[in-house]
Amino acid sequence: MLSAQQEALNRGLVLPRYYGEDRLVLLPRDPYCIFAYWEITPATRERLRERWGEEAWNQAFPQLRVVKQNPAERVEESFEVTIQAEAENWYLTNLQPDCYYHLELGWRHPAAGFQPVLRSNTVRTPRDGISDLIDEEWQLPDWKSRKLYRRISLFHLSSPELFRRPKSKF
Amino acid sequence: MAQGFLALILHSHLPYVRHPEHEYSLEEKWLFEGLTECYIPLLQTMEAMRRDKIDFRLTFSLSPTLLSMLEDPFLQERYSRYLSRLQELARLEEERTAGDPEFHPLARMYRERFDSVARYYHERCGRRLLNAYRSFMEDGYIEIITCASTHGYLPLLEPQLESVYAQLANAVQYHMELFGRRPRGIWLPECAYSYGIDELLSELGVHYFITATHGVLYAAPRPKYGVYSPILAPSGVAVFGRDPETSKQVWSSREGYPGDYDYREFYRDIGYDLPMEYIGPYLHPPGLRSDTGIKYYRISGTSLEHKKPYQPERAREKAAIHAGNFMFNREQQIKYLRELMGRPPIIVSPYDAELFGHWWFEGPQWLDFLCRKIACDQDCFKMITPAEYLDLGYPLQVSQPNASSWGDKGYHEFWLNGSNDWLYRHLHRAAEEMIALATENPDAEGLLEKALAQAARELLLAQSSDWAFIMTSGTMDEYARGRAYSHLARFFNLSRQIRDGSIDEKWLKQLQETDNLFANLDYRLYQSMESTVPRSVEMAAR
Repeated sequence: MLSAQQEALNRGLVLPRYYGEDRLVLLPRDPYCIFAYWEITPATRERLRERWGEEAWNQAFPQLRVVKQNPAERVEESFEVTIQAEAENWYLTNLQPDCYYHLELGWRHPAAGFQPVLRSNTVRTPRDGISDLIDEEWQLPDWKSRKLYRRISLFHLSSPELFRRPKSKF
Repeated sequence: MAQGFLALILHSHLPYVRHPEHEYSLEEKWLFEGLTECYIPLLQTMEAMRRDKIDFRLTFSLSPTLLSMLEDPFLQERYSRYLSRLQELARLEEERTAGDPEFHPLARMYRERFDSVARYYHERCGRRLLNAYRSFMEDGYIEIITCASTHGYLPLLEPQLESVYAQLANAVQYHMELFGRRPRGIWLPECAYSYGIDELLSELGVHYFITATHGVLYAAPRPKYGVYSPILAPSGVAVFGRDPETSKQVWSSREGYPGDYDYREFYRDIGYDLPMEYIGPYLHPPGLRSDTGIKYYRISGTSLEHKKPYQPERAREKAAIHAGNFMFNREQQIKYLRELMGRPPIIVSPYDAELFGHWWFEGPQWLDFLCRKIACDQDCFKMITPAEYLDLGYPLQVSQPNASSWGDKGYHEFWLNGSNDWLYRHLHRAAEEMIALATENPDAEGLLEKALAQAARELLLAQSSDWAFIMTSGTMDEYARGRAYSHLARFFNLSRQIRDGSIDEKWLKQLQETDNLFANLDYRLYQSMESTVPRSVEMAAR
């Protein structure tokens, strides 16, 4: 609990829920999941509604387009996920490790299909395994390499166990 | 000639918890317990080894928020008072247990312990533990590395790279202010690494950082020596990976040393066991059941109610056995790896410093036995610090480390989930605003400069990874939410005042007194990377 004096310092300051700016931000969570949050201003929605007309706008629904790129920024794959109209963030799962992703937030127009409105930053998902890339100048004989890596995996703690490090003073 | 090396790294961190507005603060007690049970006992252990001319090596990462609290006169005074009360309670306990063959010696042990901690704190250090750390550093026994300024979880701050840079650059600057030298290494908060962070470290002249095992193990190309040699990130910064074997021996809840039945039980404390009319005045705050640090039972392998009394001699013997076991296992491990690798391996074993003494009461004793045994009883391997290892000049393989953390599931989920994800839109928006303010006001002076620096402090404090961590773990999450919320709200109010040219001087002064860390913080660290020349090492040295 914050004290009265702390509260006085905050003088009833309130953190805004919205900042009045269109934005779509992407964060990597793990090799298979990214997190997106966004804000779309009423003005932007209104502009779309005017451009598309009332009928099309009423039939349109929001979607996230997930775009997978290679490191040279060439699009390798993309697909759309339909999101709830009132959602302000989303966890996208079942993605691939060690890939570059960005998102587009938009609406599916009844006739014209997906219409992107916002584009996010690009993130790279972490690897989830030992790399197949070998530097020939840095290579142990195969049998030694296998023994070395086996030693590491032998003792690698399972994740829940690893995290039971006591920090519950919090 | 040693066949290999062991680097023990103790990460010491607490979030900035300073509450002059409360007579008693539960959160400040985290610091006081850390001091009494971990930081001072570890320093005392090292004093004894230095006195006995034991050639040990340890690496301490001291987070800038912890150092700020250790250096804060108000908290020093509060700790001093806290400690006197504890000494008083221990004396009372000695009287209360008089004649009891099992509990009286334990009460005396605690009384002697607290007296010795108090003497060390006041007489040896003059309340400034920093002096003690510095003297071990100057004598070459320990390497001190830094951490991000407020332990920000860097991969989740990356949308505004400037704010990651500021977390790092201010930490380097603050470390130099306190220790008079540039930290060669850094502990990334929660070992959380993401692509690009190493490039900022390279600009700041930091030579290495430490990752979770898979930060190095999953690097590309595949590291020839696994985690038993650092790799070199393409930016030129060395990366040490955590050894899983030594983690398991100490951390594992099933097999780890701290769970031994002879060791002291953490969860039986006289703060809960004794009648309120007796113990009440010594609780913190008075009358509210909480730990005092006086615990009379051993783990015993039974339910909490049926614990057996603690026997310090038995525990001490166990600590010696466990130290011997740890050393023996390292000898075997190092011989095996030396043979496979054809060069000396380095075993990197990082732990939270708070494990030693607080959770694992015998931890400092174990460390004492371990360092002495390594120095005197074997010549297979040596203790080393990461910087010393780099200075040996072994060629390092260039490889891109893997984004990772040492948290649950190995990546970022503990700090990014349904309980705390609301935070990031505000942290990012605030960082953007800070960057804009710093870029628009490159030469602020006087009141404006003060307001900008305070805005930067509020942003840094809001970014502490501890808040998101606590929200996930679900205890005291009201406090964590309140802290994050307050610092952000203060930030945005400051930014509004700066933009309106209406800085409320009185309010600003109150903020400066409350959130008072990093007196020399340079808000210009937030200047946009696009609008400034590439930042150089000198920038952090300014």
